[in-house]
Amino acid sequence: MPNPLTTFLLKQTLGSLVLMAAITGVAHADTREVETAYGSVSIDGTPERVVTLYEGALDAAIATGIDPVGAVITRGGNDVAEYIQPKAKGIGIVGAPGETNIESVIALNPDLILASAQLSKEQYNLLSKIAPTIVPDFTAFTPRTWKQETRLFAQALGRADAGEEAVTRVEDKAAEVAKLVESTLDADQRETGLIRWMPQGPLVMSEGLFSASLLQAAGFNVNSANIVKDGRPHSHPLSQENLGLIDHPWIFLATLNEDGDEALKAARKSPAFQRLKANKEGQIIIVNGQLWTSASGPLAALKILDDIANAVNNFATTH
Amino acid sequence: MKAKRHYIITWSLLLLVCLTSLLFGAGTLEIKQAFAVLTGQGSAEARFVVMELRLPRLAIGTITGLALGVAGALLQTLTRNPLAEPGLLGVSAGSAFAVSLAILFGASTATLTTLVSQAGALAGCALVIAATRIQGVGQDPVRLVLAGATLTALLLSLTSLLMLIDQRAADEIRFWITGSIAGKSWDQLTATLPTMLLAGAIVIGAVKPLASLALGERVAIGLGHRPGLIRLMVIIAVALLVGGATALAGPLVFVGLVVPFVARALGGADIRKTLWLCLPIGPAIIIAADTLSRLLVVPSEMPLGVITALIGAPVLMLIIRARRIPTL
Repeated sequence: MPNPLTTFLLKQTLGSLVLMAAITGVAHADTREVETAYGSVSIDGTPERVVTLYEGALDAAIATGIDPVGAVITRGGNDVAEYIQPKAKGIGIVGAPGETNIESVIALNPDLILASAQLSKEQYNLLSKIAPTIVPDFTAFTPRTWKQETRLFAQALGRADAGEEAVTRVEDKAAEVAKLVESTLDADQRETGLIRWMPQGPLVMSEGLFSASLLQAAGFNVNSANIVKDGRPHSHPLSQENLGLIDHPWIFLATLNEDGDEALKAARKSPAFQRLKANKEGQIIIVNGQLWTSASGPLAALKILDDIANAVNNFATTH
Repeated sequence: MKAKRHYIITWSLLLLVCLTSLLFGAGTLEIKQAFAVLTGQGSAEARFVVMELRLPRLAIGTITGLALGVAGALLQTLTRNPLAEPGLLGVSAGSAFAVSLAILFGASTATLTTLVSQAGALAGCALVIAATRIQGVGQDPVRLVLAGATLTALLLSLTSLLMLIDQRAADEIRFWITGSIAGKSWDQLTATLPTMLLAGAIVIGAVKPLASLALGERVAIGLGHRPGLIRLMVIIAVALLVGGATALAGPLVFVGLVVPFVARALGGADIRKTLWLCLPIGPAIIIAADTLSRLLVVPSEMPLGVITALIGAPVLMLIIRARRIPTL
């Protein structure tokens, strides 16, 4: 038999709880639940001190109008990637991809951390104590991956609409370049490979790599000759006896050298490289390795599509 | 009679290995087609693969094997230590560090300066000789190797430090440092030839005095040789050989150990006989390892340094496990 007083108090308490919840709900109208690899993360308000531990996150943040306070260097560089440097002036460096300096992250006092899908559970446990940490959970190396990640980061930043817009802008541009490719190149002239040249032989990039998927979206037919293992960004250096596997009409040659011609000169020292169709026809396109093999995100996508359009336009004027 | 048989066996083995290296590769070229090239026929494609891709590797492998085998034999006689191997003692690491430094300052591996590599090897040699002068280390073969391992570890960590400074250089250094003779051109071979020939001339001049020095310092002086000069000449020859080989193929450990070991097992401890036998055995081991490196992970290739280490490490254990390590 319940005591009437207890019942009364209980009702009062419940009532005020409901009321409090309602008030809180009003105060945090933009609280959002973000689904990440390590469970649902709740974020409220507009984050002001964002640290990005992944190039795709830095790109997505800037594309949606947020200026992060910290980021990691690009693979093979000493700073964030060249293409995004003008938009990330004075940004704090907190490590390299996969090697976060936790102390520098703490020093920046972030209120949101955007990480890569590869972030380990141990790292996540540390970082999530500093600030809500967003780790994407999408299949790597698919043409959709960067779009899904961009939308996720945008949602975490409270800029879902801006994220969607950024993705659409890239899709529109890709369709535009695809039209150019279709009108300029015959169907059998659209086969291409994306490689990096090593003295031993070429590293063939995965067809699912960010830039390769953009080449595909722009109407090229990217062929990695099935030698890249699943889940890997590129192959081991291919034997020079097997360059026939990448003998396509077009080759996009990514280089980390500042001087692209230098990379082409180095590759041309190989007699096997000299025999490639694309080399004889002048259709080796030298592209920036920071942008093409390390970066990800909508701003990088627009730059890459520019590179592709330029290459095709050059072809059109010389043929 | 017996000695003659050894020469016939080792030289025919080398010939066989060379033939195999021209016939087998990571590519799709059939053995029959590759063989046709050797008889003066074959398609343009086959001729290209055999003459432009496999033949330079064969030539570079020959020079590298010669240099490392001879350098190992010389260093072992000089330090009276069967384990004294350029790779284990830090000579190759000295050379690798110098080359990494050069890469960091902008010399790409393609235009790699042999001289930088040889200067690094010379510094490594000097440190090794200094270590043999330390009480106790010079007399004990294993302790000298420990001293060498320490030096190698130090130089490798300095090399890693260089890789941290510049990621772009790091990529290049990492691929070079595992050791490989794939994708090397004739230019690189000809760049090392003058110093290699110089080293060969020094070896020819120094081998007789070195053999008498091996009998004891007093014997050498009695025969009219100057021990200090002999040592200096041998060290310079070793530095030129190891530096040149490292510039061509990256630091290859164990080759300088295995080659003289096999040569001594066949021909005995006399340095003159050892050197003659090193001539076919050195190239044969490198070329066989390189051929194997092409066949294990088709369509890619295994780094040559991995294969030589796989062959060499057991030999090192074998020598150390032998009840008594002979001092030379």
